[in-house]
Amino acid sequence: MTQKIVFNIMQVLVVMAFAPLIKGVLDRLKELVQSKKGPSIFQPYRDIWKLFHKDEAVSEESSWVFRFTPYMVFVAPIFVTLLIPVLTDYPLFFAFMGDMLAGGSILALGGFFATLAAIDTGNPYGPMGASRTRMVGFLAEPVFMIVFFTVSFVAGSTIPYIVQQAWITPIANFFEPSHVLVMLAFLMLIIAENGRIPVDNPSGHFELAMIDESKGLEYSGRGAALMKWGGCMKFFVLLCIFLNVLVCPWGLASTGSFRDLLLAIPLILLKMLILVFILVIIESSLSKLRLFRISEFMGAAFVTSVVAVVIQLIEM
Amino acid sequence: MVQLNALAGGLFILTVFGIVGMRQMIGSLRLFVIQSLLLAGSACILGYEYTSVHLFVVAGITIFSKAFLIPWLLYHLLSHEIHARREITQVLTIPTSLLIAAGLVICSYFMVRPLLETGATAFLSVNLPIGVAGLLIGGYAITVRREALPQLLGILTMENGAFLAGVCIAPNLPLMAELAAAFDVLIIALVVGLLTRSIRKRVGTTLVGKMASLKEEE
Amino acid sequence: MELFIILLIPVLVTLICMIPVKMRGVSAWATIIGSLAVFILSSAVAFRPDLASHGSTAALGSLLSCDSLSGLILLLVSFVGFTASLFSLGYMGKTNGEHRPGRTRRYYARYNLFLFSMLAVPVLAQVAIVWIAVELTTLFSVFLVGFENTPEALEAAWKYVVLTCMGAAVALVGVLILYWGLRASGGENFTWPGLLQAAPKIQPVFLKTAFLFILIGFGTKAGLVPLHTWLPDAHSQAPSPVCALLSGVETTTALYVIIRLLPLLRGIPGNPASSWLITFGLLSAGAAAFLLIQVKDYKRLFAFSTIEHMGIILVAAGLGSGAAHLGAVSQILTHAVTKSFCFFAAGSALLVTGTRDISSVRGLIRISPVAGISLMLGGLAIAGAPPFAVFLSEFSIIKAGLAAGHYLVIGGLTLFIAIAFCGIMYHINRMVFGRASAPSVRSALPLSCKVTLALAIVPIVVLGVFVPHPVHTLLQLAAVSIGR
Repeated sequence: MTQKIVFNIMQVLVVMAFAPLIKGVLDRLKELVQSKKGPSIFQPYRDIWKLFHKDEAVSEESSWVFRFTPYMVFVAPIFVTLLIPVLTDYPLFFAFMGDMLAGGSILALGGFFATLAAIDTGNPYGPMGASRTRMVGFLAEPVFMIVFFTVSFVAGSTIPYIVQQAWITPIANFFEPSHVLVMLAFLMLIIAENGRIPVDNPSGHFELAMIDESKGLEYSGRGAALMKWGGCMKFFVLLCIFLNVLVCPWGLASTGSFRDLLLAIPLILLKMLILVFILVIIESSLSKLRLFRISEFMGAAFVTSVVAVVIQLIEM
Repeated sequence: MVQLNALAGGLFILTVFGIVGMRQMIGSLRLFVIQSLLLAGSACILGYEYTSVHLFVVAGITIFSKAFLIPWLLYHLLSHEIHARREITQVLTIPTSLLIAAGLVICSYFMVRPLLETGATAFLSVNLPIGVAGLLIGGYAITVRREALPQLLGILTMENGAFLAGVCIAPNLPLMAELAAAFDVLIIALVVGLLTRSIRKRVGTTLVGKMASLKEEE
Repeated sequence: MELFIILLIPVLVTLICMIPVKMRGVSAWATIIGSLAVFILSSAVAFRPDLASHGSTAALGSLLSCDSLSGLILLLVSFVGFTASLFSLGYMGKTNGEHRPGRTRRYYARYNLFLFSMLAVPVLAQVAIVWIAVELTTLFSVFLVGFENTPEALEAAWKYVVLTCMGAAVALVGVLILYWGLRASGGENFTWPGLLQAAPKIQPVFLKTAFLFILIGFGTKAGLVPLHTWLPDAHSQAPSPVCALLSGVETTTALYVIIRLLPLLRGIPGNPASSWLITFGLLSAGAAAFLLIQVKDYKRLFAFSTIEHMGIILVAAGLGSGAAHLGAVSQILTHAVTKSFCFFAAGSALLVTGTRDISSVRGLIRISPVAGISLMLGGLAIAGAPPFAVFLSEFSIIKAGLAAGHYLVIGGLTLFIAIAFCGIMYHINRMVFGRASAPSVRSALPLSCKVTLALAIVPIVVLGVFVPHPVHTLLQLAAVSIGR
């Protein structure tokens, strides 16, 4: 019992510790693919450290939402971490507190506050980016829902741990058409939610074209550090859900021993590395979509997920 | 094996969606190549299951004619169109077309249900609905596109869908029939390609949707 | 053996046409002689005395076979092929001139390939290869439809090929489902007689689904409403002899495949095939009759009339009684000969006046008596006036329908025929009579065109009065093979 609580807390600590690392690896790899040298993979840690030691400048026109949001954005992924399988494949202490829909809505809560805060300061670029983020968000919601329905329908439950056991443990199920299509749809969703190419350019500094970066535009000092860290953790959490529930649940600790848990950490990092590599290839080969073509992109994701659920329902 | 075939079927229907939803002509052509390869893959899997050599031959013919010959032919006959008019004009927007295509997939499942009830193997319940869906969506793509090459790709998608259903329904169809059918698809591509060339020479554009002068009203 | 030679001759003539010979007219005369030979051989096959007792002849190791219905279609295809090749001699000579022998040779090469594919449809035994042959009739005629190379002709050719290939893909699925049903019931032979034998054992769902798919797929090719939109364009833009072939026999070969399926569905309770055929037939006849009224181009007029007659044939086939089937096959026969004559007349009118527009042509009978009279006779004949052949066959269909008790269907059919009659006669009258729109004869009709017109009207008049005994036997046997 206490062991489960300890493991749960260890999961949270792992997420907090390694999220910036994944972000750093992603940035470095992208630069390497483009034949540039790129920043060190530990650069996000240094950035967060530096930002924590700087002063904050907060607009006088902003309200409590602006000050509250960084904490919200930081804490939301942590709550979701309590619910999903990160290191173990059996349910931990807080696992039944909420299911995948709850996880999705907690992440959406963080995004909601970020959007409000962007409008709060009165900066013209904030609301522009916020409205675009909401557009991508609401186009992505149906895909989320249908992906969750598909996986829950097979497993008979919406708790991620149970889904993971039922969905993929017979290896032959990996090649099920609905599984492959759900994987594809969710990958498109990750790209959209985290603002990667082809939906948004994460390394662009041009405020008129920003979608996801605009939420952190106005923050400085501790607020900026928390927003940055929270963004990294959200990325990490989505990748965890993708890998551990849908794609590749092997390598998670199945027994209660501490040694297995420690062994699971480099394995999950390895899986993430491979996925990050795939994402980098996608990023480097495509170009950013024009704004109104994003609805076509999300439409394609939606149709993929609908076909997955139809195939699943009809072939039962 | 069943899952591999189902995977080929699922990716097949994805490429059919892609042909409806793709904006670029060269992209549609590439998707058609992938689609033909998936069809050949399904034929191979079925040939292995039913130990029928001539399904392997069918797969070979498909790869040769549909994945190499026809795209090469179209690319060379119509290279001007492919490079000059990159994007495809459509009657409906792409998301609407994708939704209608998803609806057609559901329709095709309901259409083949009485057939499947007579006794269906696992292969049949994947190949037959997806083949008929390919047929319907290909027909839809023809009505909704206004350019020559995408309409031709719609016809070829319909034939691919019919073949996908066919390799599962009729694994023992005499080889001559399959050969001739593959040959027939080649002739279709040739004829339509040459016709498109004449149209472009004479009319100046391959926007065939605009050619609507033969009506009673004028 | 004759069947193989029948198929071989057009291929040989195609090869001859492709050789660039200095002598003018080689390809034209080769085509005429070839099609005459094909016609003679087909009559020999169709009127064989032992067709009645043996049921069918086979050749080339059961690859080709011909029973009475196939014999009828073969006869019609070869007859129209012969008359159209005769007409082409004058027509192509006039429109092409001597300056472009290469173009004429290309025309005849494609003509022979087209003829070959249409001859192949009735005689092939394996059903899957029949599908390929029907598809080939489209593909070989595309460039004939677009022969004039005007934008309108190319548009017509484009619509033709796209819509018919769509239909062919749908029909392919139907054929495959039929094969599946056959194999599931243990049958072996995928030929027409083999299917007929196995039909009682095949589960109804296979037969019904396959029939529906093939009806929609090949119905597109036969011009059934609502998939008929390519037909008026293609059948009006092609050169007139090709139009005669297209309207007269190509749509009939597509209909032949559909009608062949009819006896297979005989055993299903509720007889869905009849109701579908009657529905589609009435729809086509009605839509065509109404659309006929507002045409502006006299070749489109005849094209819509083709759609109407296809509808009538389907209704007759669907009515179900033996007399109705006899009416259906005689309608096939009379429509083929009459429609080809109409297109020859239209082609003559086109040669004389130079325009396809109805409102520009007035007083045709004064401009060129031959063209005027033949157009008048053609219009009367196809609209169903006595004493021409179509009147007899339509009358027999109506009589059979009334005897079987389908009053509503026959009432509708009669109404549509009457509307089409009025429409056709209105337009033809405007064209043929009245003050001459052109002052004198623009270009005299070539001799071969006049000969063809004279030749082609003979069967129409003869069959309208009296049906010769061999023809009658052939028709009866064909009707039996539908209704078995």
